Amino acid sequence: MRKRQRVLASVAGAASLALVAACSSGPGGDGGTIQFLAPEDPAFFEPLIEAFEAAHEGYTVEYTQVPFDQYNSTVQQRLSAEDDTIDVYAVDQPRVPWMAAQGLLEDLSDVEEEARAATTEGQYSTGIHDGKLWALPVWNSTQLMFVNQDALAEAGVEGPSTDPDERWTWEETAEAAEAAQEAGTEWGLLLEQTDYYYQLQPLAESLGGGSGVVGEDMLEQDVANPEWVRAMEWFGATFEDGLSPRGVGSFETSPLFADGDVAFFVGGPWDLGGFADSDVDWTVAPMPYFEGGEAVTPSGSWSWGVNPASQNKDAARAFLEYAALDAEGNLASTERQTIIPANIEAAAEYLPRVDTLAGERSAGASDLITYEVQNTAVVRPVTVGYAQFEEVMNTAFADIRNGSDAASRLEQAGEQVDDAWEPLR
Amino acid sequence: MSGPVARAGGRAHTAPGPRRGHRGTPWWRGTAAVALAFLLPSLVALTLLRLLPGATALWGSLHHTSLLSGESFVGLGNYLNLFSNADFRNAVGVTLLFTLVVNPLQIAVSIALAVLYTRRRMAGAKVWRALVILPIATPPAVSAVVWSVIFRPEGGLANALLAVVGLPPQGYLTSPDQALASIIVLLSWIGVGYWMLFLIAGINDIPTDLYEAAELDGASPARTFLSVTLPLLRRPLSFVLVAATVSNLLVFAPVQILTGGGPEGSTNLLMYDIYSRAYALGDMGRAQAEVVVLVVITLVIVAVQFRMLRSED
Repeated sequence: MRKRQRVLASVAGAASLALVAACSSGPGGDGGTIQFLAPEDPAFFEPLIEAFEAAHEGYTVEYTQVPFDQYNSTVQQRLSAEDDTIDVYAVDQPRVPWMAAQGLLEDLSDVEEEARAATTEGQYSTGIHDGKLWALPVWNSTQLMFVNQDALAEAGVEGPSTDPDERWTWEETAEAAEAAQEAGTEWGLLLEQTDYYYQLQPLAESLGGGSGVVGEDMLEQDVANPEWVRAMEWFGATFEDGLSPRGVGSFETSPLFADGDVAFFVGGPWDLGGFADSDVDWTVAPMPYFEGGEAVTPSGSWSWGVNPASQNKDAARAFLEYAALDAEGNLASTERQTIIPANIEAAAEYLPRVDTLAGERSAGASDLITYEVQNTAVVRPVTVGYAQFEEVMNTAFADIRNGSDAASRLEQAGEQVDDAWEPLR
Repeated sequence: MSGPVARAGGRAHTAPGPRRGHRGTPWWRGTAAVALAFLLPSLVALTLLRLLPGATALWGSLHHTSLLSGESFVGLGNYLNLFSNADFRNAVGVTLLFTLVVNPLQIAVSIALAVLYTRRRMAGAKVWRALVILPIATPPAVSAVVWSVIFRPEGGLANALLAVVGLPPQGYLTSPDQALASIIVLLSWIGVGYWMLFLIAGINDIPTDLYEAAELDGASPARTFLSVTLPLLRRPLSFVLVAATVSNLLVFAPVQILTGGGPEGSTNLLMYDIYSRAYALGDMGRAQAEVVVLVVITLVIVAVQFRMLRSED
């Protein structure tokens, strides 16, 4: 009995030592295995990973998807804890300064020249903070308006063309959307990312309200100016008046258009591929602007960077450079999804393809995307406080969508931004 | 443990060298060492997973981290800053209101169901009991998604049921006045079955002759419940009360998935506010101060509950 007790006690002691050991040493480097983290569907990266592994013998890439809604906070949480099980990760472009300032991105300045040559100046600049290069842009984006021609035909309304010179205003769009609803379509107008700054910034910018961030150090907010209030009152009214549904969250919206339940849908180039299988007869048109205002579209996408805590930085750099700087690699990252490559050479080869993605329905999309990227695109504010700013603004947008008064809610958001930026000063 | 060690201590005066246990065996071969070895995993886990993070949070809450000036000691500055912050005060208010409603509600329904499924002869009681327990096996994220569809203002099941009885559609999770109540319904759907299990076990432990005596005395079901079931259920009930309180103070997933603390901060429970402050706003100092505040609130509530239960004894 005593002997048995001692054996059990030894096992218990050994277990506790193992627990201590497990807590004190993390999983180390894994040779040529690169751990990659991003919010996209794993299927999207299969061609890229296959191409990389074929071109780089001995390397393997393991991809982990984190859902978009939880992505930024999860990455922040894991990298702050110096999690070395992430080698390469996607970072939303305006968050690069914030992540770099916290020491959560590896300095990539030694490939500055190659990076500058591979992409546009605007895209290259999204990776710069404090004079150094921290992330490489992989994709770019814009927004298009998808027009449900079946819904408009029912209402006897002629929709907008793909020509940017014949761009509709938001007021015209809302009027046609109402007509479509009266003719039987369930919803008139839907913005794909209903409460994200990326999609709503152009509303205020179109009226001249600016990005909401001002100041020399870009750490002063201006989100309650009259133009922002007017834009957000219009946004809130689309839900109040029943043009858009309140209970459908960002990125849950596209199935509604694909099912024919929405007359006008403002979404990204990725929807061209997504809507190709839909039975709806749709066309693309430029994103609307406010009457008397400017035509403005969002831009930017994901850049990728290297985790400073990675135990496998050389392999991580090889993968990152292949995906961003090598045209073949960058093109492979877009093979299974419709998104604009950030690499100039890859984009030139890729863009003409989008015209035929959905047969006749996507005709003209390539020229329209090129036009918007070159003429109407605005960038999200490049500030070390973007992460806090976006978080506060997205919450305010959700409240306005649910019926909060735009003016007082924006005022409150401004105070919250000031408070959130206090530790940054 | 104290016996052999005390004796070993006494021998140490006359026999220098390693302390020796019972019948001259060294202490590390005695039962005390065996007991210590068995306790070691728990002690190590307690230290590494509870005490150390707790101490780290307390230490971090006394520091301010700035991108420009780095980390500096600010004493109670983070706490003062928190209490002057309207959003934090709102989160404390929402959490206290939530605690005051959700715990009595869940426990009252759990007791009612536990009595119904044990004391009353109900047709198909085992099937009903299984159905009530079933939500426990559903992951919180899945439950949240299921209820998001039920609560959807346009075309959701809840509004469809209201329409059947001629009532107008409600906003549920999109309404500042209804979102917290909607979260409470969701959590009770999960929690009631779980707490009911402990209470059923407690009721089954009550001797049946007490019920027979009550029946012979002509006690009504309500009197039997108040004079027999409830007093003898006090021990499991006190466990359920404390465990439910702590569990509900730590609610996070449904808020993060369904409301993000909104609309207008109406579901911004402290756990979500801590997460948001730490990982969305990157303000670790104040987030850690908020952790300490939450722990203090929890300890105060649990201490009050223990005191109330003790005075009843």
